[in-house]
Amino acid sequence: MKQYKFLQTIFLTGALLAACQKGEIPNLNTPVAGSTDSKEEIDNLVTGLESSMRFTLNTYFDAVSILGREIYRFSSSEPRYVTELMGQGELNNNTFYITNPWTSRYRAVRQGNTILDAAANASFLTEEQKKGYSGFVKTIMAHQLLMNLTLTHSNGIRTDVKNLSQLGPIKPAAEALADIAALLDEGKADLTGSAIDFPLSDGFANFKTPAGLLRFNRALAARVAVYRQQWAAALTALNESFFDLNGPFSTGIYHVFSNASGDQLNNLFLPRNNTGESRLAHPSYATDITAGDDRIGKAALRTDAVTLNGLTSNRDVWIYTTNTSPIAIIRNEELILIYAEAKINLNQFPDAVVAINRIRTGHNLPVYVGAISQAALITEMLRQRRYSLFAEGHRWVDMRRYGRLAELPNTRPNDKVWENFPIPLTESN
Amino acid sequence: MYLIKNWTLLLLLICSALTAAAQQKVTGRVTDAAGNGIPGVTVRIQQSNRGTITDVNGRYSLDAAAGNTLIFSFTGYKSHQAIVSGTAMDVQLQEDYANLDEVVITGLATSVKRSNLANAVATISAKELYGVAPAQTFDAALSGKIPGALITANSGAPGGGISVKMRGITSIFGNSQPLYVVDGVFISNISVPAGLNIVTAAASAGNPQNQDNPSSRVADINPDDIENIEILKGASAAAIYGSKAAAGVIIITTKKGSSLGKTTVRLMQDIGFTKVRKLLGMRRFTEETAFEKGGATDRDLFIAARDAGKLYDYEKELYGETGLISNTGVSVSGGNERTGVYFSANRRSEEGIIKNTGYLNNSVRLNVDHKLNDRISVGMRATYMNTSSDRGLTNNDNNSVTYGVALSNTPEYVELHPDALGNYPANPAGTNFIETRDKLRNNETVNRVITGGEMKAVLHENDQTNTKLIVRGGIDFFNLKTEAIFPRTLQFMKGGLNGVSIQGNTNNLNTNLMGILVNYMEANPNLSLTTSVGATLETSYMDNLIATATNLLPQQTNVDQASNSQLSQFRQKYRDNGIFIQEDVLIMDAITASAGVRFDRSTNNGNYKKYFVLPKASLSWNLAKMDFWNIPAINSFKLRAAYGEAGNVPPYGAKFLALTASNIGGQPGSLVDIQLGNEAIEQERQTELEAGLDISFFNGRLSLEATYYQKKIKDLLLRRSVPPSSGFAQQWVNGGDLQNKGVELSLNATPVNTRKVRWQSTVNFWKNTSEITRLDIPAFPLGAFGNSLGNFLIEEGKSATQIIGTIGTGKGIGVLGNSEPDFQMSFFNDLTLFTNLSLRVMMHWKKGGDNINLTEFLSDAAATSHDYDDDDDGNGVKDGLDRMNAFGAGEARYFVQDASYFRIREIGLYYNIPIPQNRIISAVNVGVSANNWFTFTKYRSYDPESSNFGSNTISTSTSRGSTGISTGVEVTPYPASKRAMFHLGITF
Repeated sequence: MKQYKFLQTIFLTGALLAACQKGEIPNLNTPVAGSTDSKEEIDNLVTGLESSMRFTLNTYFDAVSILGREIYRFSSSEPRYVTELMGQGELNNNTFYITNPWTSRYRAVRQGNTILDAAANASFLTEEQKKGYSGFVKTIMAHQLLMNLTLTHSNGIRTDVKNLSQLGPIKPAAEALADIAALLDEGKADLTGSAIDFPLSDGFANFKTPAGLLRFNRALAARVAVYRQQWAAALTALNESFFDLNGPFSTGIYHVFSNASGDQLNNLFLPRNNTGESRLAHPSYATDITAGDDRIGKAALRTDAVTLNGLTSNRDVWIYTTNTSPIAIIRNEELILIYAEAKINLNQFPDAVVAINRIRTGHNLPVYVGAISQAALITEMLRQRRYSLFAEGHRWVDMRRYGRLAELPNTRPNDKVWENFPIPLTESN
Repeated sequence: MYLIKNWTLLLLLICSALTAAAQQKVTGRVTDAAGNGIPGVTVRIQQSNRGTITDVNGRYSLDAAAGNTLIFSFTGYKSHQAIVSGTAMDVQLQEDYANLDEVVITGLATSVKRSNLANAVATISAKELYGVAPAQTFDAALSGKIPGALITANSGAPGGGISVKMRGITSIFGNSQPLYVVDGVFISNISVPAGLNIVTAAASAGNPQNQDNPSSRVADINPDDIENIEILKGASAAAIYGSKAAAGVIIITTKKGSSLGKTTVRLMQDIGFTKVRKLLGMRRFTEETAFEKGGATDRDLFIAARDAGKLYDYEKELYGETGLISNTGVSVSGGNERTGVYFSANRRSEEGIIKNTGYLNNSVRLNVDHKLNDRISVGMRATYMNTSSDRGLTNNDNNSVTYGVALSNTPEYVELHPDALGNYPANPAGTNFIETRDKLRNNETVNRVITGGEMKAVLHENDQTNTKLIVRGGIDFFNLKTEAIFPRTLQFMKGGLNGVSIQGNTNNLNTNLMGILVNYMEANPNLSLTTSVGATLETSYMDNLIATATNLLPQQTNVDQASNSQLSQFRQKYRDNGIFIQEDVLIMDAITASAGVRFDRSTNNGNYKKYFVLPKASLSWNLAKMDFWNIPAINSFKLRAAYGEAGNVPPYGAKFLALTASNIGGQPGSLVDIQLGNEAIEQERQTELEAGLDISFFNGRLSLEATYYQKKIKDLLLRRSVPPSSGFAQQWVNGGDLQNKGVELSLNATPVNTRKVRWQSTVNFWKNTSEITRLDIPAFPLGAFGNSLGNFLIEEGKSATQIIGTIGTGKGIGVLGNSEPDFQMSFFNDLTLFTNLSLRVMMHWKKGGDNINLTEFLSDAAATSHDYDDDDDGNGVKDGLDRMNAFGAGEARYFVQDASYFRIREIGLYYNIPIPQNRIISAVNVGVSANNWFTFTKYRSYDPESSNFGSNTISTSTSRGSTGISTGVEVTPYPASKRAMFHLGITF
């Protein structure tokens, strides 16, 4: 009897406690992936994709610009900018300068694949809408893959990352570029006859239509084509892009920034004459420049020179003048130079000189009077790219493309110019 | 509920009829060896629940029948049994040098005498904790006092921040810190970051972990309220706490009201000061070295400063302040046999060694115990705490804004002091940290209530058996307000963020409830059985809201007084519940056997309905209590073994793949998180086997406790690195096993014990080694800033705490050290002269254990380190340059440094002033003490105890929390301090 009551009491206590149980606790903070069942949610994912293209851009542009001897990056808390990245020791495959940008770009690619899946399976979208999503997303994915390939180059990248449990092989530069070009072509095909029915930021101003995005897609295709030395294809792509020989240099597509909640600031911005953290023009930028070139404005004179570990500069990089200044994804000035490059390589020198002069006169310089030979014009074209696209991630790539990395200056005896970044350590897992 | 009530009444009625007859009043006095009455001794009739407590003079009286056995027990004395044969009985108690009769809480509601205990449970008394030289916070006071624990201060900042690791690493990515239970309330010890990353960008490059240096919440507790602390170090002792016990349990019991009928009031006032433990010094420049450092610009600056006599020791200016410490408290303890009340109020204030930093803690406590009748007693514990800490801005950053990073970049010849108009010059070598220090505010304010209640009811009792119902519940609620203000005039705010106000608001509510039935049966004097069965429920809800405003109006701090603002919110919630049953058997007061099992589940597990089974068993045999024992010199000889399992639940959110917010162009965006969730994630499971031998010689004048343990953590919770090309960085998996083995030795002695001189001494030795015995995923580095600066590597077959790094260009990585100490020892001595004067010293030796010192690295990189120009190795190259050259050649070895130390942690001299007998004041004590005053170490930075990443920092949607590995990574921390104090206590 007593024992029985004892047990009953236990069970009753247990039952009382169990009665408080009310099922699973969901994620209280964010939506959970894999549950898109409205167009609005897919639109949110597209906004997330555009937003994610900006992650760790500072690390990317700093790393590429240091290697291309365009800038110095002095940081009292991160000496590796003036050691490893300048060629001392070795580049580590598990350090922020490669892992952070690499991860950020593939994160955007994952987001792209997520949108492609969601859009393809959406019963609430028209065919035209679906094509719009996939055309835009593929264009962005191609751009993101290209940025990573820029870093690792001959070490390669994975282009097929759709299935995360079975990632595609790491492909060397030539094959990876072919895949990127093919992805852009798929994007082009999708955008043709599509409906763009999702919001984009004003970084895409004037390009928010199917036709506009197609021109953006082809501009990227032109860049990829010259990287592949497919000169004629580059010209074809240019014709379908927003290339305008006489148009403003700045026309193009941009990453935009704002102070709004959940948005990002341009972290390539540093105030002028900043100390502790400084982003400085490589001294050669000013010493090599032609007198009168207005592009000197991108390297603003500081009140004091700064020295760190035997490196000195007296000019700040001054491209982004506020923390909400936009960063170019691709703009007309590059397209004009792509046009020149393709023409030079096709030995159509007069057309090339027209383009080069467009750049020169646009920057307060007299017309080109040098030798008219392929070699001389390539040198001139690379020089104009150096100044026109300063610190926008091109110099190192250009010199590598033309096998001229050895021409880049090394101030200190132990410095050298790296040819590519290693594949991140965790990629081999 | 209604039903239970009826049953309880019924049971009560049945039971009360069993009270026996033939009673008489027995009175007497309990004294110590010197003949002084001992107040508070429990006098209990054997095989019954009846008893009383001695009064102020040691007198007692109770009803007992002739032939009854009375048991007299009191902490610090051996318990004594006597058979009633008349109406008067005086008793003299022997001191219990080895604490063999001390009662240790082993279950959720059961306890065992130390002489029968099967585990090595460390107990820290109030005197040991806070009676020598009070540490900054309660948790810091544990340093060196727990054999088997590695206790490290994360920061020297006022308000603390302590990492406690018991018996090695217990988890890599799960909770690695012990559970704190205060009077039965499971309190929260999370560290909530203040959201400083927008200013410091600390987590933006080398390591995504939060580096805000938040304080830990256990520091809120007023140490003066603590009666004693018991430490269950691992699963074998703590299994009954189930899935919360893997990292150990620290059970804190606060003071109770006395039942002596007299009310004592105690006033105490401590006053003292704090100073930095060590300064490194600044590099002294010459024209030549200034030129080497920064060319003509720096040389000219140097010449101008030197000629004007304006070379400054900025390190001393920054860290050299003397902080005032004051601790004021009053406590009132009183009551009678049925009701005891303890009340205390306390105010602790402390200035830091950096200007504008400091700590303030106000607390009040009310503990009430009341017996409704012989069968039902209730207890209530309530405390309110208000703390405020100004933490300054230290540790790593990537914007050169923290004090230390800016200092590391600043040579002696730049001018940072404000001019006559109060304008601070810009620091050409970084940011003006003098200005930052003077203008910044980084405050954490906590308002916290911890309250708990307990009801014990004897459901039924007779001479042989009794059954008790214990219901215990507790609430821990705190609001944490973080406020970080960076005025727009700061050097690093101008032209950028233009003033930042970060206002964080966190509400955290933890509740726990348990109901336990305990049946005690004394089958015969040689056999007793205790059965407990119960159920527990714990819930927690945290809501963290951070508003960040930029482009702030001058002088304003409200987030609406700015042109831009950002919001972020993070919530987490869990509910854990468990059911347990435990059986303890005591045979001949010599053999204790215990077995139990607990079933636990948690909403943080992938499958929230699944119960995990966590068994435990233990056995101890005290041979000296057996009849055959005939070695009088050895009065206790106990063999013991214990086994237990405990769990460690995954962090909240480990099962989800979240879509984080990421906006652009005014549109809301959702972005797939880089942390891949795992719907099958389960808790880590720890099994621990512990065996030991406890021997006590010469009536306890000398005793030895020796323990060996083997602790295995299975199905380690790991954030596996996935190939980043998948778009994910990490995934939660259960993917490995970890093993810790170690020994703990404790030697207690009372070499001298005369009326005039008494010397007690304790020596502890402990050592732990760990090994990753299984790893299903590839070896992965973690914890610091990349391999070229020294990092940790989790690798199968290797120590969990190994430190690796690059070993030269093209040579890959190699092992450079280990953060686990070779061993630790502590020495506690208490010398009492003429009963009134006592000298207490606690020393702590940590041998081995490496740190990753990046403070030196940053100073070297900026060519400002104090020993830059030395040439210790005589190779003709300056040491600073040597170190940088090694780094340039891909060698990380200089960053990994031996962090051994020998420290006189606490030294205190106390005197009870003899006062004439009077009716008001009963005692006056004075004392002086020094805390962490002497440290001997070769470590090349401020202090070997340091951690850039904290120890219990929560992960939020935007920041990663601490790991169990990365303590001992140092990046320009808040330097550690030492303290000297004067104490005055008056008892009325």
